[in-house]
Amino acid sequence: MDILIFGLISGSIILLSSVGFAMIVKVEGFLNIAHGQMLLLGAYLGLFFSGYGLPLAVTMLLASIATGVIGMLCYGLLFRPVKSQGLLVLLFTSVGAAYVIHGVVGAIAGKRMLAYDLPPTRAIRIFGEPFMTRYELTTVILALVLALAVHLFMTHTRAGKEIRAVSDNEDLARVRGIDPVRSSYLVWFVASALGGLAGVLMGIMGSLHLGMGWQQIIIILATTVLGGIGSIYGVMLAAFVLAFGIEIGLLFAEPSYRSGIAFLIIIVVLFVRPQGLQSLWGAGKLRTH
Amino acid sequence: MLEVRNVSLYYGGICAVNDMSLEVAEGEIVGLIGTNGAGKTSLFNVITGFARASSGTVRFLGRDVTGYSGPRIAQAGMLRTFQTPVGFPKMTVMENMLVFSRADAAARPSIFRGASPARAVLEEAMEFLAIFGLAARAGDWVQDLAAPELKMLEFARAMMAHPKMLLLDEPAAGVNPALQGNLIEHIGALRRRGVTFLVVDHNLRFIRDICDRAYAMADGRLIASGPTGDVLNNPDVIRLYLGGGAGEEAA
Amino acid sequence: MEGILLFAISIGTLAAIYGMVTLALNLETGTGPLWDLGIVSFFGIGAYAYVILTAAPAEGHQHYLYGFGLPMWLGVIGAALAGAVAAWFIGLPSLRLRKEYFLIVTLAFAEVLRQLYINEDWLTNGVAGIYGLEQPLRGLVEARQYTYVLFALAICGLLAVWALTRMISLSAFGRACKALRENEALAITAGIDPRRTSMVLYVLAGAFTAVAGVFYVWYNTLVVPGQFSSDLTFFVWTALIIGGVGSSRGALFGAFIFILLHDSLRFLQVSGETAVTLTSLRTALIGLLLILILRFRPNGIFPETRVVFKLPDRAKAAEGAKRKGLA
Repeated sequence: MDILIFGLISGSIILLSSVGFAMIVKVEGFLNIAHGQMLLLGAYLGLFFSGYGLPLAVTMLLASIATGVIGMLCYGLLFRPVKSQGLLVLLFTSVGAAYVIHGVVGAIAGKRMLAYDLPPTRAIRIFGEPFMTRYELTTVILALVLALAVHLFMTHTRAGKEIRAVSDNEDLARVRGIDPVRSSYLVWFVASALGGLAGVLMGIMGSLHLGMGWQQIIIILATTVLGGIGSIYGVMLAAFVLAFGIEIGLLFAEPSYRSGIAFLIIIVVLFVRPQGLQSLWGAGKLRTH
Repeated sequence: MLEVRNVSLYYGGICAVNDMSLEVAEGEIVGLIGTNGAGKTSLFNVITGFARASSGTVRFLGRDVTGYSGPRIAQAGMLRTFQTPVGFPKMTVMENMLVFSRADAAARPSIFRGASPARAVLEEAMEFLAIFGLAARAGDWVQDLAAPELKMLEFARAMMAHPKMLLLDEPAAGVNPALQGNLIEHIGALRRRGVTFLVVDHNLRFIRDICDRAYAMADGRLIASGPTGDVLNNPDVIRLYLGGGAGEEAA
Repeated sequence: MEGILLFAISIGTLAAIYGMVTLALNLETGTGPLWDLGIVSFFGIGAYAYVILTAAPAEGHQHYLYGFGLPMWLGVIGAALAGAVAAWFIGLPSLRLRKEYFLIVTLAFAEVLRQLYINEDWLTNGVAGIYGLEQPLRGLVEARQYTYVLFALAICGLLAVWALTRMISLSAFGRACKALRENEALAITAGIDPRRTSMVLYVLAGAFTAVAGVFYVWYNTLVVPGQFSSDLTFFVWTALIIGGVGSSRGALFGAFIFILLHDSLRFLQVSGETAVTLTSLRTALIGLLLILILRFRPNGIFPETRVVFKLPDRAKAAEGAKRKGLA
């Protein structure tokens, strides 16, 4: 039962951190390492806003909007100008961006461990058993609802369809009168805002520290491999597979092996089924030779 | 020399090549025509080890090479070209030649042996470059070559491997008529040196000019075969081209 | 004055060690087709393998079981072998994958290894690390002069790695790697086996990086898991990109510039709080530099140059071709 609850909670966090990353991979085609720092940014912006005594919900909203705007700025100022230079340049531009964000946040906030000033809560009880705290429940619900919202947004709205058209074939999309730049900005806003929100939630549930962005990007990358690069639904499934895998793995290993277990799962999956979970819906990641 | 028997290739549920058979004898130049998506390139991929046939066999020089990997087929003496001849962009023309040389292939396993290629190899490469009009560009990066030069480099570097057979994937695509004449001459000269050809192209006039025999494909299967003239006059083939790509013939 | 000199020599030693790793990465990425985000794996494995082979047996308060106390030269060979075997092992599943996935999976292995160093006390003494390790040629000179000896050793190591990587990249094997980097499908038609070739390249880079790890142990006289986080991988990549991917001059230049940026702060004596701010700003500055280089000089400060051969005479070649009746 504990495994189920913890798996659900950590899966939700992974999901929320990874969905935005997956959107960017899908549309821009590169691994945005700076996404981990969007989590950091969200968490510290949340801390900043909560310092004004704003209610938690408002804090979360403000922090994610601000992170989203910064994400858009990053796209416009950093990534769009080098888009034609290929994957490696984009990837390492994002590493550079990650360093900048990490450095600036660090310079302002300092390296102390910080925490949100929240009233302590007890776990809600269901059938007399402790279930989860209010914050944890909110996280799970938010993650599931937002993942569903992203899904519906991508499949059912005009903007979502435009985004998918751009990611499939940018030239064709342009011919059909879609403005690829506008949909890219939208993607970066939504993706970064989701990342920021994930950061706030991580901050609420654990502690904030400067390394959280780097730590979480590694889990995000693991999720992406498991789910398949560019497959948003694969990532949704992979988040929970990984989370439960980690919780089960922690029965046998030290807690400090957390991300190690995540990666062992990936490595084992790649050995047994080199196509990863994505092979369930048929897209290959093996090279032909 | 090359014998393809009942080859089929499925991608997922889609059938790209359907029970295709063809034969090429030593010294021949054989054409393979068909509209876009007829399965010509897929068949090429099967023959050259870039795709694994779902069923059927490929024999080359009397050996069963079905399921051989790409490098092994190349080592057996069958080379292919690609529709876009980009080469190795950030390597010099000479390096491009050396990569295909037998000397390089033989020296690859011994990593710590002499760095510089032998004089004789450089001289041979230079001779081929002279033949294809590229000698002056030997020291330049391939990314700086013009499109016609890339086309010529394709043949020049293939010669370095002393192939027994060349599979050309749309050699005349995007080539102006003057250069096409040039190309035809070169293919003829290579044939006299004992190279056998299988040529895929849209350009029916080009096929008619160089090929002894031809096969026509549509929807992954064979629809006609025989001497080039007969195939090009086959009513099914004419219908196919008038329906789909009549412009090609005029071009 | 002597303080500054010693500091410069010490920084130079570190830069030479980073230079070795950068050259190894350049062999993988600049010459070959491998986008390796896990190069720190081999750095760490080399360091730990060396320490386990050469360290004295554990004392009462330490946990590690093995310290074989072997001679240093055996330790170096053992480290190189360990790096090569590790590369082979990691390459086995990951070289089957496409580039983007290879990138992530190598990062994954590096992360798993770091957690192994932390958790497997019996092998590595955990986060406490192993201290007080011996340095080569220590007895030859006075303690104060030793910095120079180590610097000389590191420079020799760097020169050796430079010569070897250069030789490899100019050989027929190196050309095959470059061909794979440039156009894999075409390389296959030249009879190059992508997986086998990549594996050999990966194993070589693993061995070189592992030897660099030994130098790192000599430099620090200790090993702790924190030295081998993926930060180092990103640092080395940053150095290579600043210098120029595909150029060994660039790799060396990048490593030295990077270390200068990264470690010269150590020279300043400031309070703890200011130090945090400064290191953070330094990280931001390095990030900014990386972004600017990629934007305005995407091929680095020393871009890859053409390989020049002494070409045969053109007229003679044309004549030869004619004589053989080809033209």
